[in-house]
Amino acid sequence: MKAADTVAVVRDSLTTARDSLSGVRMNTPPDVIARNGHARRRLHRLAGLTGAMAVFAGTALAVTALASSGHAASPGHTASHPRAARLAAWTVARQSGGDIKVTIRQLSDPAGLQSTLRADGVSASVTSTTQHDPSCRPYPMTQALFNSIYQAQNAAGSANSIFVIDPSALPSDAGVQIGAATGQQTVGYRGLHQTTVNQAVHDSRHQATARGHNIALRVGLVYASQQCTGS
Amino acid sequence: MMRVRGMEQGPTEFAEFYESSRDECLRIVLLNVGDRDLAHDLVAEAYTRAWMSWRKVRELEVPRAWVVRTALNTHVSWWRRRRHEVALGNHDVAIPAEQAAAVSGDLLAALWQLPARQREVVALRLLLDLDTETTARVLGIAPGTVGAHLHKAVATLRAAIPSRDSQEISI
Repeated sequence: MKAADTVAVVRDSLTTARDSLSGVRMNTPPDVIARNGHARRRLHRLAGLTGAMAVFAGTALAVTALASSGHAASPGHTASHPRAARLAAWTVARQSGGDIKVTIRQLSDPAGLQSTLRADGVSASVTSTTQHDPSCRPYPMTQALFNSIYQAQNAAGSANSIFVIDPSALPSDAGVQIGAATGQQTVGYRGLHQTTVNQAVHDSRHQATARGHNIALRVGLVYASQQCTGS
Repeated sequence: MMRVRGMEQGPTEFAEFYESSRDECLRIVLLNVGDRDLAHDLVAEAYTRAWMSWRKVRELEVPRAWVVRTALNTHVSWWRRRRHEVALGNHDVAIPAEQAAAVSGDLLAALWQLPARQREVVALRLLLDLDTETTARVLGIAPGTVGAHLHKAVATLRAAIPSRDSQEISI
């Protein structure tokens, strides 16, 4: 049997199966769908606001703690430089459309970021190194697929890496991977760009830290698995 | 799809889309998950997300493909989160018996055991009747990859369909 005939046989069988369900109807009225959507939007706005306040509160507490503790000068030595305020290393916020906005100032506590993304329903593998997790297998990624999943957002002069993940565009057998990029991967580039078939680099090159290190992230796709992405 | 402007026309446009596509999407998802209540929840979830992202979804080439895909992906996410074992070997289908008469239990069982990506391709190419190029754009993969997934899926599903011309004739 020719390949086209085989496809036709399978198509006929499946459409027969589908048509046999002609009595099955989606009875939920459209206004119920809209009401659910409204309610979820309100929840997302509240969650986003709460998250932002939590981050702000955390930042304020950190600044207060540092300011009050100060730095005791050792006898016979002059006081050292005043310490900079510690800001949240990253934040994750669910947007009203279901997208996940990730803001990374520095890639510390990758396990925490990984857990937070997974709790938001995004299969994820996050490391703070440039090395690939050996338990992860790269997932082939076209430019179109990449663009449908990741979107960079950077305010002018911002020191943070900000990107938005669309979980609905993620293939069901894939997860996101976030790590640090090597210097070679960022040379000559700004913003989000694809470097290999399954990863891209987000370069928010700046002079944020006192040591003048540039912050560049590596984002990509991996096959979802228990060992790699937790699902 | 006719494009309309204005916030007051958005709800009407979504309602029209919902009315025209909901039953077909439900039936396709039901074939893929085999449970009527689950399929209903998945499709309702997908349409809720479509409503929330309507400005984006209405601009897509085939919005109903987005709904089906979202419902199927949600199924996988829910399954992973709950860590339940999917009864892949279970041929029991929560579809009324009289409606299941024309449905091959073997075919559906084979469909359920396909990898997620192959099931997506089958849903879009064969059940929604999208062409290869459109399917590739919707899924964000190359057309050749669509063909490869379809080829493997069809081979598996074909083996589950009883042959109609199995009688040999001796002359």
